[in-house]
Amino acid sequence: MKKVDKKWVLLCSTAIAAVYSAGYYTTESQAAVQPIQQHIVSNLQKNNDSLNGTGKKVVNSQKNKLYKDGTFTGSGWNRRGSIGVQVTIKNDKIKDVEISDFAMHYSESDVVGLPDEVLKKQNAQVMNVSGATYSTQAFQDAVQEALDQARNA
Amino acid sequence: MRKTKLYMDTVVDIKVVTRYSKEETEEKINRAFQAFQKVEQACSRFSAASELMQACQNVGTPVKISPFLFQPLQFALEMAKFTDGLFDPTVGKVMELHGFNRHYLTGDTIESPSAAAVTYHDIELDQQTHSLLLKKALVIDLGAVAKGFAIDLAANELNEFDGFVINAGGDLFAGGVDENRNLWKIGIQHPYQKDKIIKTIEISDEAICTSGSYERRNPALPEGHHIVNPKTKCSPNELISSSVIAPYAMMADAFSTISFLQGIKKGKSLLEKVDLKGLLITPELQIVRVGGI
Repeated sequence: MKKVDKKWVLLCSTAIAAVYSAGYYTTESQAAVQPIQQHIVSNLQKNNDSLNGTGKKVVNSQKNKLYKDGTFTGSGWNRRGSIGVQVTIKNDKIKDVEISDFAMHYSESDVVGLPDEVLKKQNAQVMNVSGATYSTQAFQDAVQEALDQARNA
Repeated sequence: MRKTKLYMDTVVDIKVVTRYSKEETEEKINRAFQAFQKVEQACSRFSAASELMQACQNVGTPVKISPFLFQPLQFALEMAKFTDGLFDPTVGKVMELHGFNRHYLTGDTIESPSAAAVTYHDIELDQQTHSLLLKKALVIDLGAVAKGFAIDLAANELNEFDGFVINAGGDLFAGGVDENRNLWKIGIQHPYQKDKIIKTIEISDEAICTSGSYERRNPALPEGHHIVNPKTKCSPNELISSSVIAPYAMMADAFSTISFLQGIKKGKSLLEKVDLKGLLITPELQIVRVGGI
């Protein structure tokens, strides 16, 4: 690797170290999920306070929420075929959107070589591609479909 | 193993070459995804609940912020100084006005208060107290650094694997080696032919980020796209794509954006000055290689 400008390298490595040294990214996986749980508990309390002002900790009742908790699936199409999403919802918040059957792949046959470039043939190796950040537009229908299923009647 | 999730309005794809069990591998990959979740919750300007948008409600008073926001913001401010404001994280309001104001999952649009003329000089960070002070109402956009920072944190979580690639919508870090113990082979997207690659490179323990005008066009202006010069408030069109290789994704991310803003000549000399490799492509598909790529 070439020598690169030390200042920027140092800033980047310090930035990563700062997150760890502040204890925000703990090495214990158990601890790593805790902030989310705390967040949920405080949300519950807040909801409850605003509803009846008793401050008693009760489980948020299902009918007050717009969406059911859980994981819901949706599907859509992009130019390469079908795409599927799994949307995880907790307390009316989207926690996670996982993509299944995503076909944003390129194979060797998709390579447009520059004139001076000879590409080694490899057996249908899937390629990683760097490009301008593409948006999630193709997934919006699939996410919406999952949300529709999760919506409380 | 490979997993794909949506974060920061893009597709984040993590692939690992693993010797661990399925469960262990999945757990480590999920921890890497958490980096994106945490950085997004801290840095998003599309969500009123993000740490960034909450902090920006306080003008004139210092607010203590977490490293998930402090660090990328500090990096962005250093870049702003270095480029004399060509790269400026206070471009947020301009982006909002250009129609980049919609949350990708909820569809909610955001409209934030801002003073008419703002620059990075209106932001102060305090190293000792880790606090942010805004001198004027403004909207911070960390679009050119936050994703890179999340990639770097995620890479740190995947170090134990023989090899891994974290690809966040075209910005990626490739660690170690691929399934066949070779360097990772990475394609650079052809600007006009969506399913084609214009060049391949081989890297290991390095990031490559590409800024380009061929995705995310401006919803309001036909000539505009998502990279905006904060000084002219216009989108430059001298280059169509700029890819930069660097040891960290946050660095590659920022320098690909800056070289894109600067155009062929200045972009090339900037990359040479900081000793980085890059590939600049003009709309006529003239390719300028920098640093022996």
